[in-house]
Amino acid sequence: MQTIDILVDTTREFFHQVAALLPRLALAVAVVLVGWLVAKVVRFTIEKALRAVNFGVLTQRAGTDHFLQSAGLQGDTTTLFGLLGYWMVLVAALMVAFNGLGLTYVTDLLQRVELFGPKVLVAGLVVVLGSYFARFVGESVERFCSGAQLPDSDILGKIARYLIMAFVVMIALSQVEIGGDIVQRTFLIILAGVVLALALAFGLGGKDWAAAMLERWWPRHKQNDQRPL
Amino acid sequence: MKDLQPPPQESATPSGLAVDDPLWYKDAVIYQLNVKAFLDSNDDGIGDFAGVTSKLGYIRDLGVNTIWLMPFYPSPLKDDGYDISEYTNIHPQFGTLDDFRDMLIEAHRLGLKVITELIINHTSDQHPWFQAARKAAPGSPERDFYVWSDTDQKYLDTRIIFVDTENSNWTWDPVAKAYYWHRFFSHQPDLNFDNPQVLEAVLRIMRFWLDMGVDGFRLDAIPYLVEREGTNNENLRETHDVIRKLRAAIDANYKNRFLLAEANQWPEDVREYFGDGDECHMAYHFPLMPRIYMSIAQEDRYPITEIMQQTPDIPDSCQWAIFLRNHDELTLEMVTSKERDYMYTTYASDVRARINLGIRRRLSPLMENDQDRIKLMNSLLLSMPGSPILYYGDEIGMGDNVFIGDRNGVRTPMQWSPDRNAGFSRADPQRLYLPPIMDPIYGYQATNVEAQIRDPGSLLSWMKRMLAVRKVSQAFGRGTRRFLKPGNRKILAYLREYAEDTILCVANLSRSAQPVELNLAPFKGRVPVEMLGRTTFPPIGEMPYLLTLCAYGFYWFRLTTDAEAPAWHEQVFSIDERPVVVLFDGWSTLFRDRVMPWRIGMAEKTRLQFETDTLPRFIETQRWYAAKGVPIERARISDQVIWEQGKWTWVVALLEVGAAPEPVMYFMPLALAWEADEDRVHNLTTAAIAKIRQQANVGVMGDAFADAAFCHAVVEAMAKRRELATAQGKLKFRSTAAFEQLAGADYARLPVARPQGSSSNTVVTLGERLLLKGYRRLRAGASPELEMGLYLTEVVRFANCAPLAGVLEYVGNDGQTRVLAMLQAYVANQGDGWTYALEYLRRHLEEHRTTPASDELPVDAHKAFLILIRTLGQRTAQLHRALASATSNADFAAEPLAPADIEAYRARALAQGRSALGLLKTNLEQIPAADRSKASEVLAQQEPLLARLAAPLAQESQGRKIRIHGDYHLGQILVTRNDFVIVDFEGEPGHSLEERRAKQSPLRDVAGMLRSFSYVEHSALRSVAHDEVEFAKLAPLAHAWAVQVREVFLAAYDEAARPAALYGTFVPGQGLLGLFELEKALYELHYELSNRPTWAGIPLQGILESVGDVHANH
Repeated sequence: MQTIDILVDTTREFFHQVAALLPRLALAVAVVLVGWLVAKVVRFTIEKALRAVNFGVLTQRAGTDHFLQSAGLQGDTTTLFGLLGYWMVLVAALMVAFNGLGLTYVTDLLQRVELFGPKVLVAGLVVVLGSYFARFVGESVERFCSGAQLPDSDILGKIARYLIMAFVVMIALSQVEIGGDIVQRTFLIILAGVVLALALAFGLGGKDWAAAMLERWWPRHKQNDQRPL
Repeated sequence: MKDLQPPPQESATPSGLAVDDPLWYKDAVIYQLNVKAFLDSNDDGIGDFAGVTSKLGYIRDLGVNTIWLMPFYPSPLKDDGYDISEYTNIHPQFGTLDDFRDMLIEAHRLGLKVITELIINHTSDQHPWFQAARKAAPGSPERDFYVWSDTDQKYLDTRIIFVDTENSNWTWDPVAKAYYWHRFFSHQPDLNFDNPQVLEAVLRIMRFWLDMGVDGFRLDAIPYLVEREGTNNENLRETHDVIRKLRAAIDANYKNRFLLAEANQWPEDVREYFGDGDECHMAYHFPLMPRIYMSIAQEDRYPITEIMQQTPDIPDSCQWAIFLRNHDELTLEMVTSKERDYMYTTYASDVRARINLGIRRRLSPLMENDQDRIKLMNSLLLSMPGSPILYYGDEIGMGDNVFIGDRNGVRTPMQWSPDRNAGFSRADPQRLYLPPIMDPIYGYQATNVEAQIRDPGSLLSWMKRMLAVRKVSQAFGRGTRRFLKPGNRKILAYLREYAEDTILCVANLSRSAQPVELNLAPFKGRVPVEMLGRTTFPPIGEMPYLLTLCAYGFYWFRLTTDAEAPAWHEQVFSIDERPVVVLFDGWSTLFRDRVMPWRIGMAEKTRLQFETDTLPRFIETQRWYAAKGVPIERARISDQVIWEQGKWTWVVALLEVGAAPEPVMYFMPLALAWEADEDRVHNLTTAAIAKIRQQANVGVMGDAFADAAFCHAVVEAMAKRRELATAQGKLKFRSTAAFEQLAGADYARLPVARPQGSSSNTVVTLGERLLLKGYRRLRAGASPELEMGLYLTEVVRFANCAPLAGVLEYVGNDGQTRVLAMLQAYVANQGDGWTYALEYLRRHLEEHRTTPASDELPVDAHKAFLILIRTLGQRTAQLHRALASATSNADFAAEPLAPADIEAYRARALAQGRSALGLLKTNLEQIPAADRSKASEVLAQQEPLLARLAAPLAQESQGRKIRIHGDYHLGQILVTRNDFVIVDFEGEPGHSLEERRAKQSPLRDVAGMLRSFSYVEHSALRSVAHDEVEFAKLAPLAHAWAVQVREVFLAAYDEAARPAALYGTFVPGQGLLGLFELEKALYELHYELSNRPTWAGIPLQGILESVGDVHANH
């Protein structure tokens, strides 16, 4: 009998707890549903707003759309930003829902994801604007060099562009706190390597010229101006 | 409708002189005629008034309007009649006063004015006045009629005029025992105008002739009337007092008479003879004449411009009389001695040709019978300020005889024919007053009226044309004169301006072809119309107007504001006139959704400027812009695509022009060319919309049809059947099965050219193989031309049309289709049928303009042309048979003509009739006076006309209805190797697409062509005839042509079409054919009244003829 009571109590307690959970669960589901709807609205709004201000033109010319499409994504950068907004709202809704259910660990986890979202957004903007800037500088350098009739103007333009892009990527990565020191160090090593390589290349390639210049500035043997009579 | 020249201006009389105009002499062209030399009617060897009367018709037909009769008074004839012995009678040799009166009446009947000589400076020494004077006592009134002196040492400062024959102005008279004064020959004593009785006597003489009806006097030797010691006795104040009294006497009692002063003086002295408009009406401009010769001799305009600049202004009511030659010598008194030597060397190397201070030769020998120079001289004479005087015989290029004494060498008998005595007289040759010219060049066998009147290319025919043309504008007689100063000094260019009329005269004074650039900037936009051929020249633009003239060539241009530029002319605006569009981001600049976010505002602003200013200003100047003259507020880009093809990009744009609810859609492909690509920049500049700039890079934006790369890209896309998404739809490029055969494999290398003559569409040719036709004004729905093109090319394979190779269509998101361009086979041709027929008839009329009306045309005069028309009839029938052939295509399957169809035709024609007649009533005043009687007649016939349109047509139900051309006329056929290619199957532009696609009786096309023949008939007539006399003469010729052409066309059509049973009745003027023809004429009437009322006469004539047919049939 006692055993039955225990079972009944347990069952009752279980049902009590289930009964207590059900409203919260229903609320959580409702919150997620509302959040999902809001997320869709936000996504639509973001995309519309960005397209209205020709953000797509910016990302297309910055090359990010092309990059994304090369990576196999269907949409463009604007779609990506919309998706980011969508997930941020959805994650926020999930946070509220899980918090309501008392799943604090999940909530904390989601909170971290949620806080990462703005960083991704900013990093994304940095990449877009930086890419456009890099392309602009690259084209300017190329046009200037071409105008000045310097050889290999296209290569110089590309060097300028990719150099800036490297910095932009660094800034974006630091924004999303990926890599941290190791990326910076790696970058510095690569940069030092490139500079060293350039120094060696120019040093070896131009040593004769440098020697001639040094000889001109500081000649090792003074010239004898006296001529035989 | 066809663009042609305005009809000739109407003149008040056949001669061109207004009936009751006191300033008639300003429009006068004077024919100087020597009665003695003109025609001998009584075979006594001397011309007479009866002879003159019989030849007044010739003078009228020549185109002059005034006759100046040289002295015909009783006279000893020692100075060719200038020595009068009786002022109020006729020399018996010339006839009687009655003969003179008859001549005067006949001349007035023919609209000719008559002026006579009033020689009052002197008389003959045989005059009773002189005979009485020499016998009268000194101091008596009779003696004082002349100027006497006891010594010949008076008036020593006076020059001797006839230096070759006289050595003093005084001659001793043994009867009077005194010297008498004479400025000319010694047998011509001068009258003494200090004696009031002399003036009274002169006034009585004037009244005698004026009462008889003479229209004016030439005052001979007028500067010498009065003598005063210490002067040169020329142009004295007292002389002017006498002239004023003569003028006052005329004005007091007579209307519209005039005085012409013969004052061989410098212009500033001659000016005095006009007074303040109270002396002579006209005076000779003596110095101009030798300077015209001088200019031609020196090939430099300076002698003419210099003397004209020295010519003072004259009162408004006065006029200069100008001439090239007359009965006297070509006087060189008004030139410097060096110039005189030059003139002698050039024009009178034979010293026998020299007399006094001049040259006794006629115009043709002076010009060495060079027809070009003679024509140039005459053109200058007829276009210089003043009333020109033509010396008899110069109109046929008569020569002279330097072996006859004095100036009689230029006074020989008029050369009428190659008959005996040049047709002048039937008398024995030895009885003639002077022998006619008989040398091989100028002799009457070679140079005579009879021969030249039959020769359309003769000098006489040319003179007639020139005089007819001169009548067209009063600017020649009354206009101001302004010299232009082109850099080429061999060119004389001047403007004659009167009221709104501006005539530009350009003459090449040199013996070789010359170019000239004329600054005509004040007349920018005007269209010069060459007055002889009524040919329109390209409009005047910003740049100097370039002309080239052949040796001794000349032009008379009317600078018109209403004439249309030549059809072939492409208006090329200077790129400087185009606005600058700053394209900060290439094509994207024009599209706000394609620029960087921070440039959206700039893009919107640029687009607004582009749509409200740049595009409208371009479109308004395009031929294809339908609403000509209506300014465009905005040309909105309704759909577009930036089309990238290799290294080129274009914007293929559709524009909405005009305001809602019915904006018109236009097709406007755009291309850019940057300065580095010079060839493209050059090509696009011809169709430039704007100058463009992108940072430091500049270039041109233009109509892409001017860009060869675009045209090639279109053809390429058709070949590959591409589709191109636009913002609101898509572009579909398609090719037909015939593409490969027509375009070949190398179409991408075909040179692109933009031929002239495109109007509502833009036509581009690719080599001589393809023709790309870009439609500008777009209509939604199935295109009749595309349907017909596909059917004729791919289904029935009709040989006499241009096969279709491809098409570019626009399909909007609303599902509606619009044809943007079609690719057809290029048809090498000799122009369209309209131009061909019009030019043919014009040539025919030109050839017969000056030939006698009595000359009958050969029966087969139009044989070759009629063979061509027969072919046209056959081709038309073949087209209809092709369109009636059996097919499963419901759009083309022939159907029986149901009574309901005929009823609908009738209703449509009736509605058209009511509409046109209603408009005619309200616009009657706009119709030219000459055509108003036709309009009134049509309105008077309104009831029978409408009744005819409403009458049932029972017999017609035997016919069939098929797809037809729909806008069939001569302009829609191309002439090619004595055959025709039928083009332009768009249908009547004024109708909806559904109406155009509807099946109809083929007789509607036939009626359209018949009306086109009628338009050619009247258009050619209007452009060739300069006045109503010519109009009346040429109208029967034009009508005879039209009748023959109609008959042949209808017969050929019927013969070829009848087996197909396309119609029931085929009688001109009856049944459906008559109905359609009348309906078409009513449609034309409506069109002309709405657009160019001066042309309403043509359809009105057609309507009257249709009504006439009805009456005749009844």
